[in-house]
Amino acid sequence: MLSGLCRGLARSMSTATAPYPFSKVAIIPPAPAAPPAALRQGKGLMPYLQRTLPSPEKQKLLDTLFSRRHPDRLLPGSVLTVILNHAPTTFSGVLLSIRRRGPDTSFVLRNVINRTGVEMQFFVSSPHVKEIKVVQGAGGSGGKQGRRMRRAKLFYLRDSPEKMSAISAGIKN
Amino acid sequence: MIGLKSTLNVIDNSGALIVECVNVLKNKVNNGWGSVGDEIVCVVKRARPVPAALQASSTAVKVRQGDVRRAVIVRTAKSVRRPDGRVIKFDDNAAVLLNNKREMLGTRIGGIVSADLRMKGWGKIVSLAPKVL
Repeated sequence: MLSGLCRGLARSMSTATAPYPFSKVAIIPPAPAAPPAALRQGKGLMPYLQRTLPSPEKQKLLDTLFSRRHPDRLLPGSVLTVILNHAPTTFSGVLLSIRRRGPDTSFVLRNVINRTGVEMQFFVSSPHVKEIKVVQGAGGSGGKQGRRMRRAKLFYLRDSPEKMSAISAGIKN
Repeated sequence: MIGLKSTLNVIDNSGALIVECVNVLKNKVNNGWGSVGDEIVCVVKRARPVPAALQASSTAVKVRQGDVRRAVIVRTAKSVRRPDGRVIKFDDNAAVLLNNKREMLGTRIGGIVSADLRMKGWGKIVSLAPKVL
């Protein structure tokens, strides 16, 4: 199966800029770079996919906001606003959890709208996700920086609306 | 995932407060479980007391406890996937009452509804809702 994948990659690379004969308006993305020698032997497929599958902008997001050690990484308990390409354009909420799976990384935001709790899970590599803005971080010891949460997954916030309102107390939406 | 005996809040001004699902229509497609945008047959478990003036008039719609009505599911606590991979879930189950011709019984909606309703063809409800997510 892997040799077939490499043969297909080689074929697409050889026809890099040939026009598509069946449509004038088709968008042909550029062919991917040559696979390294180790990949042709079947070694390191998952790290290769982790580096190449997301687009460069998304890769930057993944490397800073969703890494495990970066100083600017997102912490659970921060308040974020996600801007989408289509309607409804924005969704804000408290970050409950980050699920790190390389290109499949996703996070869950929780908000209370019209007295009803709503949770949305966004996938970072989705082309619909245009921007992720941090409204209030969660690193410091309270105040503008927000309290540091002692847990990675804040699912207990689903049962305590008072803690939710404590987190969103200092924000003027 | 709304099925037999599931309770839903009613978020329109028809007078009902809580309904219990009895049957999910078109269940050959969804294995007997209803999701956002599915029509259900339900029993009104709790309703607002009908004011005396309304009781006298014969043209107004009176929803009382024990009525069997149709409804459409507008919010589910079970997560629903959008076509772009997003997942949305609410804190409760909610429905809007309908008559047999798929028209709303109430005139206003008080609460958010899921945007999946638009995809299933309930544009009228989406346009009346104060917030669609």
